[in-house]
Amino acid sequence: MKKHLCFLYVLLFVGVANAQTKINSYTFGAMEARWLGPGTMSGRITAIVGVNADSKTLYVGSAGGGVWKSTNAGASFKPIFDKYCMSIGAIAVDQSNPSTVFVGSGESNMRNTVSIGDGLYKSTDAGDNWVKVGLDSTEHIAKIIIDPKNSNNIYAAAPGPLWSDSKHRGLYKSTDGGDTWKKIFYINEKTGCADVAVDPNDPNTIYVTMWEFRRFPYAFNSGGMNSGMYKSIDGGKTFKELKNGLPEKPFGRIALTLAPSSPKDMIAIVEAKETGLYISADGGETWKSQSATMNVVSRPFYFSCLVIDPKDPKRVYRPGFGFSYSDDGGYSFSDASYDGGWVHSDHHALWINPNYTNQMYLGTDGGVYISLDRGATWMFVYNLPVGQFYHVACDNNTPYRMYGGLQDNGSWVAPSSAPGGVNNSSWQDMYGGDGFWVQPDLTDNNIAYAEAQGGNMGRIDLTNFKGVDITPQAGKDEEKLRWNWNTPIVTGQANHHNLYTAAQYLYKSTNQGRTWNRISPDLTTNDKKKQQQEESGGLSEDNTSAENHCTIFTVAESPLDENTIWVGTDDGNLQMVTDGGKSWTNLAKNYEAAGIPAQTWVSSIEPSRFDKNTVYVTFDNHMYGDMNTYLAKSTDGGKTWVRLNSPDFTGYAHKIKEDLINKNLLFLGTERGLFASIDGGESWFRMKNHIPDYCMVRDIQIQPQTNDLVLATHGRGIMVINDITPIRALTKDIVDKDVVLFTDKPIAVTTGMYGGGGSPVSGGWWGGNPDDIQPVEYYLKDRATKDVKVEIYDASGKLVQSIPGSKRKGINKVYWNLRWTPPKTATGGTKADFGGFIAPMVLPGIYTAKLIVGDKEYTTQLQMVHDNSNKLFSEDDRKLQYDAAMQLYHMHEQLYTLVDKINTEQKELKEYMEQVKKAQDKKALKEYYDKLEELRSTLLATKHKSIFADEKKLREYITEVYGAVCGQESRPTNLQQGRISVLNDDLVKAEKSHDKIVAEHGPKSTEIISAQKLRPKSIPANAGN
Amino acid sequence: MRYTAVALLLITTLLAGATTANGQTVDEIIQKHLTAIGGADNWKKINSIKKTCVRMARGTEIPVTITILQGKGYRTESTFSGMTSYSIITDKEGWSYNPRNQQKPEAIPAETVKLAQDRLDIQGALIDYKAKGYKVFYYGTDDVEGTECHKLKVIMPSGKEETIYIDASNYYLVRIVDKIKANGKEQLQTTTYGDYQQLPEGIIYPMSNDNLTIKKVEINGVIDNKIFKPQI
Repeated sequence: MKKHLCFLYVLLFVGVANAQTKINSYTFGAMEARWLGPGTMSGRITAIVGVNADSKTLYVGSAGGGVWKSTNAGASFKPIFDKYCMSIGAIAVDQSNPSTVFVGSGESNMRNTVSIGDGLYKSTDAGDNWVKVGLDSTEHIAKIIIDPKNSNNIYAAAPGPLWSDSKHRGLYKSTDGGDTWKKIFYINEKTGCADVAVDPNDPNTIYVTMWEFRRFPYAFNSGGMNSGMYKSIDGGKTFKELKNGLPEKPFGRIALTLAPSSPKDMIAIVEAKETGLYISADGGETWKSQSATMNVVSRPFYFSCLVIDPKDPKRVYRPGFGFSYSDDGGYSFSDASYDGGWVHSDHHALWINPNYTNQMYLGTDGGVYISLDRGATWMFVYNLPVGQFYHVACDNNTPYRMYGGLQDNGSWVAPSSAPGGVNNSSWQDMYGGDGFWVQPDLTDNNIAYAEAQGGNMGRIDLTNFKGVDITPQAGKDEEKLRWNWNTPIVTGQANHHNLYTAAQYLYKSTNQGRTWNRISPDLTTNDKKKQQQEESGGLSEDNTSAENHCTIFTVAESPLDENTIWVGTDDGNLQMVTDGGKSWTNLAKNYEAAGIPAQTWVSSIEPSRFDKNTVYVTFDNHMYGDMNTYLAKSTDGGKTWVRLNSPDFTGYAHKIKEDLINKNLLFLGTERGLFASIDGGESWFRMKNHIPDYCMVRDIQIQPQTNDLVLATHGRGIMVINDITPIRALTKDIVDKDVVLFTDKPIAVTTGMYGGGGSPVSGGWWGGNPDDIQPVEYYLKDRATKDVKVEIYDASGKLVQSIPGSKRKGINKVYWNLRWTPPKTATGGTKADFGGFIAPMVLPGIYTAKLIVGDKEYTTQLQMVHDNSNKLFSEDDRKLQYDAAMQLYHMHEQLYTLVDKINTEQKELKEYMEQVKKAQDKKALKEYYDKLEELRSTLLATKHKSIFADEKKLREYITEVYGAVCGQESRPTNLQQGRISVLNDDLVKAEKSHDKIVAEHGPKSTEIISAQKLRPKSIPANAGN
Repeated sequence: MRYTAVALLLITTLLAGATTANGQTVDEIIQKHLTAIGGADNWKKINSIKKTCVRMARGTEIPVTITILQGKGYRTESTFSGMTSYSIITDKEGWSYNPRNQQKPEAIPAETVKLAQDRLDIQGALIDYKAKGYKVFYYGTDDVEGTECHKLKVIMPSGKEETIYIDASNYYLVRIVDKIKANGKEQLQTTTYGDYQQLPEGIIYPMSNDNLTIKKVEINGVIDNKIFKPQI
């Protein structure tokens, strides 16, 4: 604690307090999250649409990362939907006017973890700006089709809510370009519209598939008598059911498509008792069953993508578990090869460039792939950071490592910083399957614990990433173990040797999982009606452990007492024990009294580190159709609870995190945003610090050494807000001041804390580093309308450097490179010399930072200290390096003076030469000029212009050593020292040479000039002498 | 349906560029902005401007001079290590020269010149935008570094798009984001303004943008047309 206290900010402020300033994320303006991604494994892609006209503008929708746009066929992407819902179901571009784009929010791949949408959005400027145009309550939108002959007619297929009955489902149509919408086909509250197709030749002909489905926390049902395939030939006014040749009902989900070049040719995959492939050649009037491979017909609720080539009606694509394609209209299929590299399984989106149909883009559970050979082989797109992390954990290394598991993408680890910045190659895959919890062993730097779905877990050796299975097994007379999809593995906060995991029982190990002790009875409700997972799935059995229920979901050991353990279950039990596991108390009724619904999933528990009786808990009831944000606090060990709420809250709650230092600072992660409170939960604001407004924040950690806020997002990878110390320091009183200048901890003099590296990695995702030099920070209550700058002075009052200041509202950062102002370097020549951009680093000592805002000044001292983290660079080395750098600095300025004299003399001589009449005078002046030029040409490059011409003269030679000495953290080498002496001798010689030339030629020239009364052109003739 | 009504209102607002959420029209916002920066009349009196500036780069001050002759020529030049680089845009052509990597001045492609010719307009895009053939759309308020701003998008006949952020409290210009599609690629350029000062001519001028600080402004001085011709 003392360590942290000494780092607490000293606040220097001037200003008059007035009306209270509202604290929000803008208060912490410049504290922007780093997006660490990575793009290595990317995440689930739900929609891909290109612009036909240019074939290189792409819109990519993701399950939890919003919409990304490329204008270069995928070479780079930018997020364009970060103020809106992150879950994307469908995208449509009006190909007759590609500036109009629609995004249907709410993914429709109805897996257990699918998120929800909040409506349909329209852009009329190619994605720069968006307006919500309706369908607010459908929660899921599967497809949007724009009538190719009349862009005013648009259809949206809305399966509707997954977790509840709802009237907000069915087929919707707009007849005014998407501005207003009307539901035109509806079955009932359980049956939505899963797919829609429009005949491009006859746009009044519409095909839809209706789908009866429902998820419960413990089961999934796909199928019912209300599912079916329908056709309208009057633009959606009336529909008839298509049955001829289709199997007996009930149906589940039906994927349907038609051939754009021959719209009567259609293909459908119909989920039924025996799911099958069906082909029609007459616009769906009759269907013929066709045998198909497992990949074509498997998991129809999840794989609903079916595409026919835009030009070739026989070329059919089935992105499913794998990628299959047919050249005979669907009668037979082949599978893609892995010659271009492994293609992630689970495919959901495909866009084919209609202008060059060999080129296609595939969306999978693991990102986007590009094919240039009609899907036979694929190349991965490494620059989409849309990974869906469930959890994140940090160790205490320097740099610390971040661990996390992702939906369908295993478990990974990466350093928080790296030479050159954290990039795709910084990440190491450490465990397979679907990844969830990963816990570093804080007592053993080489060990971490990871898991895959179904409670399979291992102890991982971080030196070679070999794993040992440590999954607890059922004992004699014990029930089958019920592992949550997202089974907790947690290390103790009070005692880091404690390792916990849980099925319906809680297990504890104190020897890295080599032996386990069961320390609880069944802590769930053990409701047998909720344990029928083997029958889950509906028409297609689907039991992947995703629906496992009556399980323990969260475990937390009190940071203050290892015997106090909290457990939350997915069926509403909140249990705690104070004796290490002997006598458990169920607190479910207590929290219900605070207005939290019974049976609610206990999504996270945060026992306070400041008070043993204080605990925060989040609850998630979305699986019962309740999307409210539930957060509660108890200060009496769980006996009574107060619900913490805010009008700003959106999304069901995943994680509550208490700060490590400031007990009033809390962070809340929900399905739709990150929120913070600086008053212990009384009031909250949405964190927008370079974080998408509705980002799915699944987990939150605070790394104790760096004070970084580390977020596991379910669709935007890992995000880090570096060093939240300013958030801790700012209180409501302080933010009412006009200006606050912070004095932080001592600043290490360094060229950068994270090293350099060579050329940057080509392509992929780059997450950068934290500030590698500590910035000067200040707070502005309002955006400055006057000039802002920061001046640094040394102890003697000499100006070291003046730096433009940022003017933003809230916290600002100004980056001083810890160097002096660069020297004046000799001007002229044929090459730019970059010595003028290089400056020596300052020595450790006391410096003054002066913040100038308009006509007001604020000062504080900066304590610059030697960087003790660099063991190969002593303070004595630093001094020697500084002396050498300053010697070269002065040599540059000395040379500048000399060259400036020569330049001036040559300029005047040139003008005199144009004025003299006598040839011998001109010759004398020219001899003088040429001698100067001869000397000048030894002082700086004067011949070659090409940047590749290695012409070096004294200026360039000085810069060569100067740049090396200034840029290194070591004492100068003997040869560098020697070189400085040599160059200094050359400089002195040059000065003498100049003196000699002036002595030899000056008097004669003066004589000529005086005799003829010449004067430089810049001096008017009548100006007198 | 409830949402269709709301959507209709929003879309109507959006497309018609008529009334904003707080009752202001696009033209009212522009008018308030122009009033805040000294009034359109004062701006229209400016025929030329010469800005003497410095750009800070790693502690080094690089002199930069920007000269605009209304509707005729635009020149920006900077000097480092005794070498002067420049870029020229006129109503007919454009040139650029960087002695560090060019042997001689080179003509700027016509497509690029066309997209840059709005720089010849000292008044900026919003004064008499209709007469200039510009379309302006209003996209509500948005925050720029924590400051609530009115967001206007200007679409020019050249195809260039300029998103202008105007401080909703004082109506000063805060940021311009240029979107240019040229040479087969789309580029965004963001410029954030500050240090607003009233000049003797009555206009309020942002004396800084990003790392560029204006040291001196000369309005309606004599401009030699030669500076808009390429020369080494």
